[in-house]
Amino acid sequence: MPRNNHQLSKVSTKKSAKSRIGILRNVVLVAFAIIAVRLFCIQIIEHDDWVAKADEQHTLLETIVARRGEIYMMDKGEPVPVVLNQTTYQIVIDPTVTEREPIEKALRNYAPDYISVDFDEIYNQEGLRYAIIAKNVPRNLAEQIASEDIGAVWFKKNNQRVYSEGQLASGLLGFVNADGIGQYGVEGSLNELLSGKDGLLKTTSDVNNVALSIGKDNVKIPAEDGKNVVLSIDRGLEKGIEKLTAEALDNTAASNASVLIMNPNTGEILTMANLPNYDPANYGNVTDASAYNNYTLDVPYEPASICKSFTFSAAINEGVMTPDTTYFNKHYEEVDDWKIWNAERRDAVYGTLTMRDALYWSLNTGSIYALKLLGGNPNAINQQGREKLFDYYYNKFRLGQVTGVELAEAEGYIEDPNEGWGRDSTYANMTFGQNLQITMLQTATAFSAVINGGTWRTPSVVKGYYEDDKIVPTDTERIEDKILTDETSATMRSMLIYNREYLVRGGVDRPGYDIGGKSGTAQVVKNGAYDDSFAELVGSYIGFVATSGEMPQYVIMTKMWGANQSVDSGEALNLFSTLSSYLIDYYKLKPGAV
Amino acid sequence: MAIRKHHADLTILFTTLGLMALGLIIIYAIGPMRANVLNNTYGTDYDANYFFIGQLRSVALSLVAFFLAFKVIPYKYLQKYAKPFMILALALSALLWLLAMTGSSLAKCELGECRWFNLGAVSFQPAELIKLALVVYLADFITRKKENGELGKWQEFWLPFIAVCGASLFLVVIAQGDLGTGVALIAIIFGMLLVSGIPARQYLIMLALVLAVAVGSVVTSSHRMQRVDAWLDTLTGAESSDSTYHIDNAMLAIGTGGFFGVGIGNSVQATGYLPESINDSVFAIMGETFGFVGLFLVLAVFAAMLIRMLKVAEHTTDTNSNLFIVGVFSWTLAQVVVNIAAMTSLVPVTGITLPLLSYGGTSMVFIAFAIGLVLQLSCYTSREVISNHENISSRRRVGGTHHTSSRRSA
Repeated sequence: MPRNNHQLSKVSTKKSAKSRIGILRNVVLVAFAIIAVRLFCIQIIEHDDWVAKADEQHTLLETIVARRGEIYMMDKGEPVPVVLNQTTYQIVIDPTVTEREPIEKALRNYAPDYISVDFDEIYNQEGLRYAIIAKNVPRNLAEQIASEDIGAVWFKKNNQRVYSEGQLASGLLGFVNADGIGQYGVEGSLNELLSGKDGLLKTTSDVNNVALSIGKDNVKIPAEDGKNVVLSIDRGLEKGIEKLTAEALDNTAASNASVLIMNPNTGEILTMANLPNYDPANYGNVTDASAYNNYTLDVPYEPASICKSFTFSAAINEGVMTPDTTYFNKHYEEVDDWKIWNAERRDAVYGTLTMRDALYWSLNTGSIYALKLLGGNPNAINQQGREKLFDYYYNKFRLGQVTGVELAEAEGYIEDPNEGWGRDSTYANMTFGQNLQITMLQTATAFSAVINGGTWRTPSVVKGYYEDDKIVPTDTERIEDKILTDETSATMRSMLIYNREYLVRGGVDRPGYDIGGKSGTAQVVKNGAYDDSFAELVGSYIGFVATSGEMPQYVIMTKMWGANQSVDSGEALNLFSTLSSYLIDYYKLKPGAV
Repeated sequence: MAIRKHHADLTILFTTLGLMALGLIIIYAIGPMRANVLNNTYGTDYDANYFFIGQLRSVALSLVAFFLAFKVIPYKYLQKYAKPFMILALALSALLWLLAMTGSSLAKCELGECRWFNLGAVSFQPAELIKLALVVYLADFITRKKENGELGKWQEFWLPFIAVCGASLFLVVIAQGDLGTGVALIAIIFGMLLVSGIPARQYLIMLALVLAVAVGSVVTSSHRMQRVDAWLDTLTGAESSDSTYHIDNAMLAIGTGGFFGVGIGNSVQATGYLPESINDSVFAIMGETFGFVGLFLVLAVFAAMLIRMLKVAEHTTDTNSNLFIVGVFSWTLAQVVVNIAAMTSLVPVTGITLPLLSYGGTSMVFIAFAIGLVLQLSCYTSREVISNHENISSRRRVGGTHHTSSRRSA
């Protein structure tokens, strides 16, 4: 062996080698000791801090979104959905990972209409890791794109509201905003009921926020889905009424119209139309937010002479007046040094008239006379008269109060009979529907009581909740209040029918049906006073429809107006006539004995 | 003079097998999570057992390599071909470099670094071959120079030494951008130099030179400097950022493990938070899973293996074997310490596998082969620390007791 030749040096080399291996051993020991101490620090001493940090990073708090309830209308006695949910998808990519060619091709093939980006732009953007490339993609298209199996493509689910009838009854239905909160109409008023209650998922999750079964503090509170609301609205009737009303708008100076149809015997609302409609699916396209209003109950106004039927009902019900009671009409009445004129001032009506004729000609002097009779003094308005009228208007007809319908509604306002200045003139005005603020729904509900035998009933637009293919009635409290005698109601019906005698003779109202009604033309208050130029008028009409000799089955109220347009009640009356005729056909009402 | 063969060193044998088994268990636990993360993030379609099966294959291959080295291929034979072996290793890395530069599909690149040959179903990392070849070659080279009395001489020793080591480092660190393997190579070189018997002064000068070059290359490379900055950020507790993400999450995994760990299959960090969870970061996942107790045991196992290697080296009867074992020791030590120190934020992240535990075929096969050779050499140790080869009276495995059946007289 060659080593033998260098025995001495060999020994010293080996010795130094040995001591140098000792150095290596020390390196191992020192390095491992440092690491062990370090591990002790991290795992034992700092353990709690790291666990806290880990919780922050690993815990996924996710709301389980409750399914929003759908909205139904009635059609031939069956509920039919008019507002539904649709699951759509957002398609998200990571441009640094997702291959452009296949995803772009798939999108152009399957969902070209939903692409929301310029591919050149996102692929040229340095460091972009997240891009939404398509929105509102329907499920079937999203599934087709997903089946292409392209890497790094995510589908984010979102729920979209679908209004299957388009713009139908938009003012009634409302819409759901981008945050998923209902706005206006049924969507807004019943938002809580429709949205249900979101659940909560608290869980440990992986880096892609997918829940893991690991971890002991996982919490899952399931969501409570929203109620499916069935409206009492008759879909077919609503459609027909909206179509005819839109036509009426085309043929008159009015730009807006609202129609309310209800069953006076139950309080059920069958039609709530506000024209023009808007598209609730694209609610953002509306420029003026007033387009969202449901004028039948959001916006109080002065229905004017329609209210004479309430004043007359009060006087008859109090036994101080009959249709044959007479008074002297001199075209005006002076109250609180204020001359209140009739709109109708033809010579033929000057002189002594019955109250029936006063209603027929809609004379303000007639309703003021009824107020005097309520006070027990045919010559002057007094406190008793004001208090009686207030009692009927506010306490019995519940004008200026919310009706209690299921939707959000305006309250309106009725003047106090004793507080304030100029009570007599104010109350004189109130007898023909001015100096008060009430909604169409309050008016129609009160009118229903006038003609249905005298019972005031809480109106309703929600028939119930649709659960398991059954309509479950709501448990909302309904008021039934007998406020007028049967005789008063019958008398009022005959007077209201008499109002339309000339229309029957003119061939407008079909024989075999009892149709009665009352018009109202309201001046608009501008700068705190009635605008006597009559440049802008709001025309209203309310009436009932019945098979001859039977109790009224339907109440129809129409209202037409337009900014700076003089729309008198004649237009509203014509619309009523058209609609009542349509309604008779729609419900195939049998004619009675002529 | 021939030494009769005796039992191999059982500590090295069992620690090696034990670590491989542990690696299998941990990959079995977190492989499905890894597959799930990749499938969700990149739309891949890995089976839940994909990584476990891959690891099983790697372990099987590594066991074959281990037993070939241990029982079949004589170390002497390998020694004979040390030079061509080194040339082959360098040539393969050079070839990879050329292929990468020409954009050939045979070079497999990830994140801009081309470190693998693409051989269809499998890939091969030539840097691992360089580590083994360098250990074999330097053992042979230093032994020859020593025998010729040329050790430490500039022209005869240093020039060829620097040429080979420089070429290796260049191909690995510059051409393949593999700083981790570079660190392992430097550890191998200086580990072997330390026991080669060169004068301490020369050793220290070389060490200082290499450190200077290393520091220079880090400071001048924005990419490497970023890692150092990230490391300093984590040390000083600065706000988390993208560059500290990896180390933050490694520490988070280790820290949440606590004393006993969260248990097998309960690792949350492996579900995608911790990058490289099955490869370079497997130690952190083990920290989360097995806690301080588990990591301490893993450290103890590695320490036992390493100390035992040194013991075998001390008891070898020839310089070449001694150098080879120290080379393998340095290689293993470097990978273990640099990997774990990075995971615990003691040094910047370099991207180095944890021997026998990390997922990844090539690195495990080669280190298993190298350890197999150490085991083979452990069968030929003398009972004494050799000071005079003429007076060997007893030969048995390191620290072996006298009552073993292997006791034989020469």
